[in-house]
Amino acid sequence: MKNWPWAILAPAVIFVLIGIFSPWIMTHDPAAQDYGALLQGPSGAHWLGTDYLGRDMFSRIIGGARTSLVAMAFVLMAALAIGVVIGSFAGYVGGKTELVLISVIDIALALPSLVIALALMGVFAGENFSWMSDYWKMIVALTLAWWANYARMSRAVVVAELQQPYIEAARVMGASHIWIFTRHILPHVLGLVVVYASADAGALVLAIATLSFLGLGVAPPTPEWGQMLVDGMSYIEENPALVIIPGLALTAVVVSFNLLGEAFALQKVPRAVRGRFLARKKAARAAEEAARKEVEA
Amino acid sequence: MTDAIVAKGLKVHFQTAAGLVRAVDGVDLTVAQGAFHGIVGESGCGKTTLARALIGLQSATEGQVQILGRDRSDWARSDRKGFARAVQFIFQDPLGSMSRRQTVGQTLEEPLQIHSVGDAKARRARVAELLDLVALPATVLDRLPRSLSGGQRQRVSIARALALSPQVLICDEPLSALDVSVRAQIVNLFARLQAQLGLTIVIVAHDLAIVREVCSAVTVMYLGRVAEEGVAKALFADPAHPYSQALLSAVPSPDPRIEATRPRILLAGDPPSPRNPPPGCRFSTRCPVVEPRCRETEPALRAVQHGGAAACHLADANIHAMI
Repeated sequence: MKNWPWAILAPAVIFVLIGIFSPWIMTHDPAAQDYGALLQGPSGAHWLGTDYLGRDMFSRIIGGARTSLVAMAFVLMAALAIGVVIGSFAGYVGGKTELVLISVIDIALALPSLVIALALMGVFAGENFSWMSDYWKMIVALTLAWWANYARMSRAVVVAELQQPYIEAARVMGASHIWIFTRHILPHVLGLVVVYASADAGALVLAIATLSFLGLGVAPPTPEWGQMLVDGMSYIEENPALVIIPGLALTAVVVSFNLLGEAFALQKVPRAVRGRFLARKKAARAAEEAARKEVEA
Repeated sequence: MTDAIVAKGLKVHFQTAAGLVRAVDGVDLTVAQGAFHGIVGESGCGKTTLARALIGLQSATEGQVQILGRDRSDWARSDRKGFARAVQFIFQDPLGSMSRRQTVGQTLEEPLQIHSVGDAKARRARVAELLDLVALPATVLDRLPRSLSGGQRQRVSIARALALSPQVLICDEPLSALDVSVRAQIVNLFARLQAQLGLTIVIVAHDLAIVREVCSAVTVMYLGRVAEEGVAKALFADPAHPYSQALLSAVPSPDPRIEATRPRILLAGDPPSPRNPPPGCRFSTRCPVVEPRCRETEPALRAVQHGGAAACHLADANIHAMI
């Protein structure tokens, strides 16, 4: 990790920080309506203007970051936990249990996650689930749509590690299965799964926005980027910024998590960035060199 | 005094796509307490499988193993940790047998943690003691196994096996991954540890010169069976089985004059496949002194002149098959 361009972490870190500190960053209450200032452009009072209800766009974008971050964190943690437990169990136990679990995982993987999530949202709309708020329905639906990939990866790592001779050595030392799993196998599983999750986070933010865009996720007063897109669409001619701003925010988050994931996975600069990043560094060094020569002359 | 290891009629068969492989096919083995017992033979003769079956890393198809007077599988099942404290194993590949994520210190501490030996301070003291025992400097503690030399790695794996003060140590070719120059050091380490700790050591090897140097007893294997066994010095001085004679004649002598003139026995071809061993004596296909009866009946182990036993029709207490 030496010479690692830590700058690549910046966008994702900024997103997380904004999400955490959003109440202190917001200039207005994101739900407060002001009929005196509808669909305004950027101004001193409203940095990014206002939407069709006169709500401050800047505060809504910042608040939306927190909504996305929290929902994403819930889903990722739950999907990761379920996936790691099921996948590891399948890989460690082997035999028929493994076969059955793999079939379940494969079926879950065969369907696009968003389709599963949408179908589950449909099921959850029934009366039996009226005790859950829409928000939690979305979290549960996304979790159930997202765990399979983590299960598949966990199983693969467990199976590969179990074949290593040092597992045999641990067994000879009298180690229990729990010892072998937690001490030797789990760290490998988590190592891979967390890297994957860092890239997956972007896709998840997008999925949350998609569900909200379809009116299935976060309920209206809460600021949410997907919902802001829908709201803004009707007024795209009066104020295109209402669509452009949340769209850009979403794009930025997805791209930054993808870069982060790739950087982690390769332990080096993602190719897309590397060329330009290094070129700029080289140019800066050359300029410095030239300046020094000039001074010497 | 009970024997440290007694194996009776041990068979390990593998079902493969190409047929049944009889890796170990009816081995009786007795290792005396406090012995340094070598198991030798060429590649594929089943010596590694035998070592793994002795400690239970490989389940036996047939036969039983008794270790320190107790049935091995019963013991390992009912008292996994107690068994691990009494019997330890050293792997052929020291690097593979250690977690690549753990430092040497963590690797050495692990068995102590598994068996809840002492507190953190006592464990650290024990680890320092172990390093001393295998003559490693304390500076290796924070290093990862892959940054060690081959000899150091094997010393660490030996130290780990000794952490629980076992009575029996089974080693699967602990020398084959090492440089020739380092081999001697590790062999001397084994010999010193055995004398110092009163261990019973079973060592699988194909370097006969080393077995001759340090072992007290030796078993020669061929194609899943015992070809000859006996006290190391006596057997090496006067091998009764033609296979042992051929094996020994392949050991070079350090004296160039002897080396230039000593008789060599060259065996033709490879050993037959353990998938379908030849009828009669298993060595009959390559034996230079083969007789018709060798191809028909399989010879049982019989007492021979050097005090051990050999599985050869031509060998007995008075004469032995001389090539």
